[in-house]
Amino acid sequence: MLPNDPIFLTGFWSALTILYYLAAKRVFRRFPKPWLSPLVLTPLALILTALALRTNYAAYIGSTHWLMLLLGPATVAFAIPIWEQRALIRRTWPVLAFGVAVGSTTAIVCASAMAHWLGLNDALRLSLVPRSISTPFAMTISGELGGIPDLTALFVVVTGVFGAMLGDLLLKFVPVHSTLARGALFGMGAHGAGVARANQIGAEEGSIAGLVMVLVGLTNVLFAPLLVLVFRA
Amino acid sequence: MTARSLPVRRTRIIARQFLHRSLVGQGLLIMLFWLAGQEIAKAAHLPVPGGVIGLFLVLALLASGKLQLGSMRRGAKWFIAELLLFFIPAVLAVMDHREFIGLIGLKIIAVILTGTVAVMVSTALAVDFGYRWLLRREEGLRHAAE
Repeated sequence: MLPNDPIFLTGFWSALTILYYLAAKRVFRRFPKPWLSPLVLTPLALILTALALRTNYAAYIGSTHWLMLLLGPATVAFAIPIWEQRALIRRTWPVLAFGVAVGSTTAIVCASAMAHWLGLNDALRLSLVPRSISTPFAMTISGELGGIPDLTALFVVVTGVFGAMLGDLLLKFVPVHSTLARGALFGMGAHGAGVARANQIGAEEGSIAGLVMVLVGLTNVLFAPLLVLVFRA
Repeated sequence: MTARSLPVRRTRIIARQFLHRSLVGQGLLIMLFWLAGQEIAKAAHLPVPGGVIGLFLVLALLASGKLQLGSMRRGAKWFIAELLLFFIPAVLAVMDHREFIGLIGLKIIAVILTGTVAVMVSTALAVDFGYRWLLRREEGLRHAAE
């Protein structure tokens, strides 16, 4: 059992999260398999620790919420790769915009239709709809739609893990030739985790994925009022 | 005139040199842009996360030459490289949903898996198709110019 002091708990769970993450990164560097990604190993180790110490989610997230807040500055940081690829973006922006429109529509229609068909309840269905959008955007939209933002954050991460794994596999079967399409595939389908994976494939793929991820978030936030109209009707 | 602006110029140069060397300084500068973005979003009642407004602030300053790439480059690469860490706390939400261990969990995974495959394939094909169209158009323009 842990002492009930909030300062101690914040220090303890934050330090543990960062330590496990650093250890998981070393494991991943030695064995670069998608299912050994830090995004899988770190939460697994944390859940086991939390269960052993009889800590619940509310106590854990209260102590480590500040780490999730850092997604904000991380979004700002994407200005740099976007700026560095500005020549490519200026040349290809209509193509990227087209890809984002197709991808976002597919994501929303697929999630909603599949969830309905499998008989998941409305709260779950609406939490699944924005899961192809990066976290800060997805949580905003989920709340507006009537989903549960915390669940959406979880689904976003699961999507990222699967997406990063599936991306490599899909590239073997789908005839995709351009760097642009490879980057867009990861940025649209697997946001943060996908950008990390795309960066391993190549710097250009990585910055395209980052740009697409930001574009997807922006487009969806702009169209969110329309989505609310459709899903709340 | 020059005598008065000299110290100002000197502090500016010192600040820039500090930023170019210090990773922590660059990280703090990025956070500052995020906070500014948050405040703007709150003041203007924009439904856009503060980070995105910060992103556009940075792009505008880079484009106008008021901000140098070197003042932020290393800090930005650090944030992007450690992106996964910031997602991890969200995954523990699964602890509050024991019902996901079972049929509902499998259904959710099915929705996410098929959805992700569909999204990735459709996006990649759309972009590839668009890119080939772009190449053809550029080729056509080049011929027209000749």
